[in-house]
Amino acid sequence: MCRNFSTACLIGGLLFLRVDLGFAHHSVTANFDQTRTLDVTGKVKKFSVRNPHSEITLEVPKPGGGVTEFHVEWSDKNALLRRTVPVEKIRVGDTVTINVNPSRRLSNLGYFRTALLPDGTILKDCGFAAYRDSVAKGTKITC
Amino acid sequence: MRWKNRVIAVLLFASALAHAQTGKREELDGVWILLRSSTEAPKLTPAGEKARAAYDFQKDDPDMRCIPASFTRIMHTPSPPTEIRQHKDSVEINYEFMDVKRRVPLKKGLAVKDAPLAVSKHPHMGRSVGQYDGETLVIETAGQRAGVLDTLGVPGLYQSDQMRTVERFVPNGDRMQVTITHYDPVYFLQPLIVNYTFLRLPDGKILKWDCKPEEATYERFLKR
Repeated sequence: MCRNFSTACLIGGLLFLRVDLGFAHHSVTANFDQTRTLDVTGKVKKFSVRNPHSEITLEVPKPGGGVTEFHVEWSDKNALLRRTVPVEKIRVGDTVTINVNPSRRLSNLGYFRTALLPDGTILKDCGFAAYRDSVAKGTKITC
Repeated sequence: MRWKNRVIAVLLFASALAHAQTGKREELDGVWILLRSSTEAPKLTPAGEKARAAYDFQKDDPDMRCIPASFTRIMHTPSPPTEIRQHKDSVEINYEFMDVKRRVPLKKGLAVKDAPLAVSKHPHMGRSVGQYDGETLVIETAGQRAGVLDTLGVPGLYQSDQMRTVERFVPNGDRMQVTITHYDPVYFLQPLIVNYTFLRLPDGKILKWDCKPEEATYERFLKR
């Protein structure tokens, strides 16, 4: 009896103190395979910093000649602004290599991870978790 | 045996401490970002299971048409913050996500059905009435239209037009706990509970979202 009661209390206590989970699901997770990465090199045709998602369009050379478009989705404009990501470093006309998580469904789409710029520097975005942590600690976000 | 009693004592003390850590209602005023969230495992009716199984985020997610599915869904969005401003007779809650501006009357005796639309631009989000339970802001909402309830916490949860929710906003200094309990006899066998912890964003401001459907839908990639 005593053992049963203790076990019940223990389980009840654990349920009562249930652990908050992180972001178990997110549309980015649903749309993009975060276990895989892909380097895509191309000329920046268009770069729209906007909500709900920013978008880079690359012109990627095809093996037989000509180009095909590849689209890179990125965070929303407001988040990039708050995270002080230097998006102006990505310029239309530049040839860049963007590392993405590929779309689970569309072969011409990926989600931004990093960008290798023409001057050899790598543009990174620490993401929301780093921003949230910096707010919690009262520090400036750094990548 | 003794260790078990110690564990139980520690758990009970910790839970009591967690619930005792509440602040004053004035602390709810401010701009908040999501720290973490959790959804208790939903117990769905057969209709709820069927709807969830058929859910396809690329076709069914209202976000892709710049339509906020629900307050539950909005508060699951990590990046865009939420602003709360309490007034004598009302509370305004401004969600940056989708530019949703919610107005909740604080009027004793006002039935939810008689309250004005919570978001005039989005009638599908129903009507809300607020009151205080001690220092906790409690908002009851009903009159939502049937459709998608959540696409992030538990993607593919649906709501009926019979759903009623109770939101509890608990102040705790620079943290705010929000619990939403969903009662829906059509889709849930038992109330669905979602918990959020928000973090105060010092000097935070709500920016314009300005979502355009043609820029939100994934169909734009299929046409090319």
